[in-house]
Amino acid sequence: MEFRGEGNNGLSKVAVRNNPQEKSNISRRRFISLSLGLAAGVLFPSFKSPLSASGNQVAPTFPQFFFTQIKYQGGQWDPNPQLLDSLMEELELRTSIRGMKERRLITLSDPDLFFCPLLYMAGKDEFDPFTPKEREILGRFLTYGGFLLADDTMGAKGFGFDKSFRREMNQIFPGQELKRLPSDHSVYRSFYLIETLGGRQKVNPYLEGITLDQWTPVIYSQNDLSGAWARDRFGKWIHPCVPGGEPQRASAFKAGINIIVYSLASDYKKDLVHHPFIKRRLNL
Amino acid sequence: MNWNRIVIAPVFPFWVILFLLSLGLALTVVQYWMIQKRIGRPKAIQISLLRLITLSLLVSFSVNPSLIVKKEEKIVPALAILVDRSQSMSLSGQGEKKTRLDDAKALLLDGEKPLLKALKESFEVKLYTMGESLQAIGESELPGLKAVGKRADLNRALEKLGSTNSLLLLLSDGNVDWNGSDRKAPPLIAVPMGDPRSYKDISIKEIKAPPIAFRGRPVQIEVVIKCHGYSGITVPVILRNGAKILTAKSFSIRRSPEEGVTSFSLTPEEVGSFPLSVSIPPQFGESLTANNDANIALKVYRDKIRILMVSGSPSLNYRYMRSAFKNDPTIDLLSFVILRTPANIINVPLQEQSLIPFPVETLFTNELKNFDLVIFDDFFYRPYLNLNHLEHVKEFVRGGGSFAVIGGPNFFGQGGYEGTPLEEILPARLSGKEDYRRDLPSGVKLSRLGMIHPITRFSSEGNNHQGLWQEMPPLDGINLLEAKNSGRVLLESTDGIPRPILVVGNYGKGRVSILGTDFSWKWYMGMLAQGKGNWAYLRFMERMVRWLTRDPSLDPVQITLPAKPGEVGQEMGVQVRVKEEGSSSASKRIASFSVFNPEGTKVVSQLRTTAQEGEFLGSFLPEKGGVYKVRVETLEGRLEESVVVAEAVEGLDGVPNHEHLKKIAEATGGKVLSSGKEVLREAESYGEKIKEHFVEEKRLPLWSAPYLLVLIPALLGMEWYLRRKGGMV
Repeated sequence: MEFRGEGNNGLSKVAVRNNPQEKSNISRRRFISLSLGLAAGVLFPSFKSPLSASGNQVAPTFPQFFFTQIKYQGGQWDPNPQLLDSLMEELELRTSIRGMKERRLITLSDPDLFFCPLLYMAGKDEFDPFTPKEREILGRFLTYGGFLLADDTMGAKGFGFDKSFRREMNQIFPGQELKRLPSDHSVYRSFYLIETLGGRQKVNPYLEGITLDQWTPVIYSQNDLSGAWARDRFGKWIHPCVPGGEPQRASAFKAGINIIVYSLASDYKKDLVHHPFIKRRLNL
Repeated sequence: MNWNRIVIAPVFPFWVILFLLSLGLALTVVQYWMIQKRIGRPKAIQISLLRLITLSLLVSFSVNPSLIVKKEEKIVPALAILVDRSQSMSLSGQGEKKTRLDDAKALLLDGEKPLLKALKESFEVKLYTMGESLQAIGESELPGLKAVGKRADLNRALEKLGSTNSLLLLLSDGNVDWNGSDRKAPPLIAVPMGDPRSYKDISIKEIKAPPIAFRGRPVQIEVVIKCHGYSGITVPVILRNGAKILTAKSFSIRRSPEEGVTSFSLTPEEVGSFPLSVSIPPQFGESLTANNDANIALKVYRDKIRILMVSGSPSLNYRYMRSAFKNDPTIDLLSFVILRTPANIINVPLQEQSLIPFPVETLFTNELKNFDLVIFDDFFYRPYLNLNHLEHVKEFVRGGGSFAVIGGPNFFGQGGYEGTPLEEILPARLSGKEDYRRDLPSGVKLSRLGMIHPITRFSSEGNNHQGLWQEMPPLDGINLLEAKNSGRVLLESTDGIPRPILVVGNYGKGRVSILGTDFSWKWYMGMLAQGKGNWAYLRFMERMVRWLTRDPSLDPVQITLPAKPGEVGQEMGVQVRVKEEGSSSASKRIASFSVFNPEGTKVVSQLRTTAQEGEFLGSFLPEKGGVYKVRVETLEGRLEESVVVAEAVEGLDGVPNHEHLKKIAEATGGKVLSSGKEVLREAESYGEKIKEHFVEEKRLPLWSAPYLLVLIPALLGMEWYLRRKGGMV
């Protein structure tokens, strides 16, 4: 009941839908999906319902995206273990991407790291330096197309996770610093048009990253994104978002969706065909 | 008249001879004084005189005297008559009915006293014809002579005949090659044939066009037109591609003669070799119509390969393919990713979404022709495209476009493509109801054809192509495909029953392929994990695109055409080069070599091997002008090139060029004369002049006679006798 007052906000609906006490909203979502499907069916009357083609049969069977979290030595590698359920539901509800509900855990020396679409690294405290081999593997993965999302859940600049993470990035990419991503970066436009960054806390209203050529293989947030996504098994948010409340959480979900889409579609939104639409919507 | 004179050529320097002569005289005087007391003065005088004569003879030997005898000989001078038998001599001469060659024959053979007969009285006459070569002919062959040769080379004729003839007589319309060089040629009397004032012709002298053009970029074609007569009229100039009219322009003739240029701007929309022709309709009374047409072969390349990719959703497959295409400067990629399906719910107003409409109508109707390759990446069409759109894709491929499918769980949509136009064009079908499998990772191996196919044959380690593919990480998901008879399987799964993974084929003029997996991106990252770099994936993607779009760089066979257009009746050679890759030998890869004339009829041709491995020399003999097609068929397909053969080299410009003849005659000290009488008079006058100056000179060395050598011992013997008689011996 905590979010009911948010009215038309879609994210609130997700939260409410997952609250076992509000089961009637599940049928509402299905109703909306079905309505859209039927609407599409009207547009393409001679074909099968798109819902039957992509929604009910194939999509759930073969997820194409999975979240892989890095287990590292020292510090606290898993500050928000329940980060994924709500994000994956949101991903599936809003986008065409089929994501696995379960996260995978990996160490940096695991060769399967190269097959992960998105490496996620979170933490609160300082952690042990990576071994040279781990740095070499992570550097090779990121240099040749891999992707890493880092999430500082403490949010103290120059302390804790932030201090250790910047140290490791300096070792892996000497001469390349984590820099504030410009407002026209593809990650702010890959699905939603984002102007400010949410999270459990609001340390930075922006993302930082390391960009190599046209690709940003490392994206870093100090706003504790996973804290905003985390939900307990009863469907309640584990942490309140301060100071912005639920709009700040909604913004964190939008950022999560955008980061996932960016990890799979790269700078697709930089293609010229998108420019006039985006400029018009942003009143540029 | 004879006249003689003596010349000397001393054997020793002159002072040596004088010294020896003085010494001899002194010794003779001393001898005289010594012997006169013993034998008396008369005998001493005799002996001394003999010694003096002997001494004089020896001195005479040393100065080596010769007698020069000059004698004037009366020899008949040689005259060479050159009759131009090139094609332009078949055009109308002075009269409407007779040709220029007929006029030349009449000049030599007709009349009360034919010129040829009259010249023979004063000259030793030899007859030659000038065409593609210089040829001596007998008088009897002259009446049957036909004007069929090529433009004559006068320089070569002068070089051959100049030293053995005193006078040359040239019967020509002036269409001969002469470079004006200052060679030592005898005087040449030129008799011009044809009438420049009555000659009427509009000809295409030259087409100036670049040998290659790029699709979508305008190319300028300039046509040089030469006119004689017809001043004040306007004629159409038509540009055709084969039989199809591309465009036409008007060309106004203001004066006569005139040479002008008209130009066409053409934007080729297709890649290939195009036989273009420019023509001007024949005008009434035109002397020569064969030069109203001209051909060129325009080779059109693509500047960039334009790809339209539609992905069913964001995926690693999309990202790595996009990265491969975006990093290739020869590729222009336009991609659409379905970010949201109709089943998804959007929770924000439009102003907060980056999603754009999928412009299916524009892309799959009007704009499709502007792409070279369309890729469906795990894309199920139904929510977005209708059957008409798929029909357009089919027509696009039939017309020469390329279509590729990257598989995945969505693409086949549980039989959703059955019965659609795409089912017809794809080289494989689903093997059953279960169309996608992700339960067991599967490795891949090359099929027999895959070992030699350009898409999959690219190992960096010699010919170990199979080894490279076996090193690739296994695929986590594959489509269960079944190749059609028309499909060629290049890659197969290695687990259990081999399933086709990559199938390629042709449909109409286009090429198609199915890569039955959404995990090909693992070939990028998996090889990177092994520390072997990402080159294998990038090269595979590049070669797949290039093969699908028939990029010439991937053609195993290259045809190199001669730089200049060919000529009718002259053997044309084309070089065929086979890139040796893989295990198949070069010679086995050429299935056939054939040549087709402008009407499309196969002509006799041959293909010979050369000393260079993988290089062949094809040849054929064109019998008519126009654009010929050279076709090489290989195991991978067919390669065609167009070769231009000029219509009639000599006939391109048939106007009598009497000014040219005047320059030639003046350069050799001769004249241009138009009637037989004038020619005879001039020839005889010249003949008389050269007779007076012909002198034979002989040199007779005086001391070369043996009897003179005998005289010296005879004189010495006589001296010895007188001495003995005087009691001195």
